[in-house]
Amino acid sequence: MGEILKTVNLTKSFGGLTAVNGVSFSIQEGDLQSIIGPNGAGKSTFFKLIIGEFAPSSGQIIFMNQDITALPQPAISHRGVAVAYQITNIFPMLSVFENVRVAAQSRKTTFNLWSQALSHKELTEESQAILELIGLQDVQGETAANLSHGDRKRLEIGIALATKPKLLLLDEPTAGLSPPETRQTIDLIKKIAKGLTIILVEHKMKVVMEVSSKITVLYYGSLLVQGTPDDIRSNEEVRRVYLGGVKC
Amino acid sequence: MEARGLWQKIAEMISRHSLVCILLFFIIFPFIVPYKALATQIIIWGLFALGFNVCLGYTGMLSFGHAAYFGVGAYTTGIVLIRLWENIWFALFAGLVMGGLLALLLGYLCIKRKGIYFAMLTLAFAQLVYFVAFQWVDLTGGDNGLRNIPAVPLSLFGMSIDIHTPIRFYFFVLFFVFLSLLALNRILQSPFGHVLQAVRENEQRARSCGYEATNVRWLAFIISGAISGLSGSLYALYLHFVGIETLYYSTSGQVIMMTLLGGMGSFIGPFIGAGVFLFLEDVLSIITPNWMIFLGVIFVLCVLFFPSGIWGTVRDLSLKKKGISVVSKQ
Repeated sequence: MGEILKTVNLTKSFGGLTAVNGVSFSIQEGDLQSIIGPNGAGKSTFFKLIIGEFAPSSGQIIFMNQDITALPQPAISHRGVAVAYQITNIFPMLSVFENVRVAAQSRKTTFNLWSQALSHKELTEESQAILELIGLQDVQGETAANLSHGDRKRLEIGIALATKPKLLLLDEPTAGLSPPETRQTIDLIKKIAKGLTIILVEHKMKVVMEVSSKITVLYYGSLLVQGTPDDIRSNEEVRRVYLGGVKC
Repeated sequence: MEARGLWQKIAEMISRHSLVCILLFFIIFPFIVPYKALATQIIIWGLFALGFNVCLGYTGMLSFGHAAYFGVGAYTTGIVLIRLWENIWFALFAGLVMGGLLALLLGYLCIKRKGIYFAMLTLAFAQLVYFVAFQWVDLTGGDNGLRNIPAVPLSLFGMSIDIHTPIRFYFFVLFFVFLSLLALNRILQSPFGHVLQAVRENEQRARSCGYEATNVRWLAFIISGAISGLSGSLYALYLHFVGIETLYYSTSGQVIMMTLLGGMGSFIGPFIGAGVFLFLEDVLSIITPNWMIFLGVIFVLCVLFFPSGIWGTVRDLSLKKKGISVVSKQ
């Protein structure tokens, strides 16, 4: 198991604001690491750089030993990087099932004009398995816009999983969830982490401490410190900039 | 209450078997309108609106230049019949292909932008096509339009059939309208059709799922252009003449109005829109030359109070009923 993703001095500036500043980060295949940091630390921007939604101002992104820095977003998705967005980003007027199915279809075909979309059995089966995994099989016929916030958050993960990623980026998957829903999502993350490399951005420290092998702290776009959950918990600087502000 | 329930049931049934219902309705349609040529005109414009709707309703792109594809289809068919080959099949096919090719070319330049910029680009290119046709008098007849398109008979299995009586021509057009509906229905249910919906719903998400959204919209634009070209071809056969205003931006505006009046995102909406528009034009233009004023008022009221169009409003009512029953079950 080698390094699956590496960023080298990754930087993104929006005009005068440097949202991500020279971040060098790496993660081993099969690992689950977290990124924490106060609001505006550049966590979501960092994710959007990796998936190709933003082009970096400078620096490099290496995925599976290949430079993907300049690749367009769809190509990066096909290499095996998926994201579950912080602000839910689903297909609102499509059914829950179709949300997952169309994401799964992206691995097979785009410009097939003739066959019936729903006759592709393997896609239907894959989607059913994912819906079961994220616990939405009972509402699969519902229009996605009608789902509760918690269900949408899980659908968000389902869409990402349906593209069969090798690396999954989870941007605050438990934000706004009730304690029981948070529990459910942690269990889901643990379950999917078995076959997958995951980078998790999260504010709930309990979640982060429980699931990650290594934690990276971003502060004003720069990498402040990296270490095991225990290192981070005892680090004075982290306490000062971040943990002091929230319950641990 | 009873009556409303019945309407909802009818609307639901039409939604479910829309193709069969459209065909059945269109078979009796020429016999219930004031004169048969109006019926022909309505289904030709309905086909144009249907093609336009691939852009607006199914992909979410507001094109303000669909006159170009309609007009180019019309001119191509006319020019082929006058100069190249007096064969209706070939002339129609050429119109469809030219509509698609022009959409391929102009679409490539337009789809890179979105929203209002896309609309303005499509408008600008369509006006460009208009002025080319206007200046190229030798080929297009310029300001006078393309005249004297021959009324050639249709050759079918070695037979030669005269289709230029009102009722025969209506069914000839209906054949192509129905063929287009079948093809479009097939496309919308295909994997590509589903991607189209995903791109319309959330382009950012579609891209992060690995779909090249720009290419998806481009192909939708080409399909839309080809259907518009075919409807233009039929229009040229119908009039035996192509007016220069076919390419003018008022034609683009008219197809937008028809689609919005009838309702986007369905097969039936564009035909209802075309029907209402042309019927009102027919009735009102006898009363006053300023009939556009009345049509304008109706259009404004429709957009303000029934933003999903005539068919969309009927369908929403039936869906709302369903939605309530789902909630109460829970």
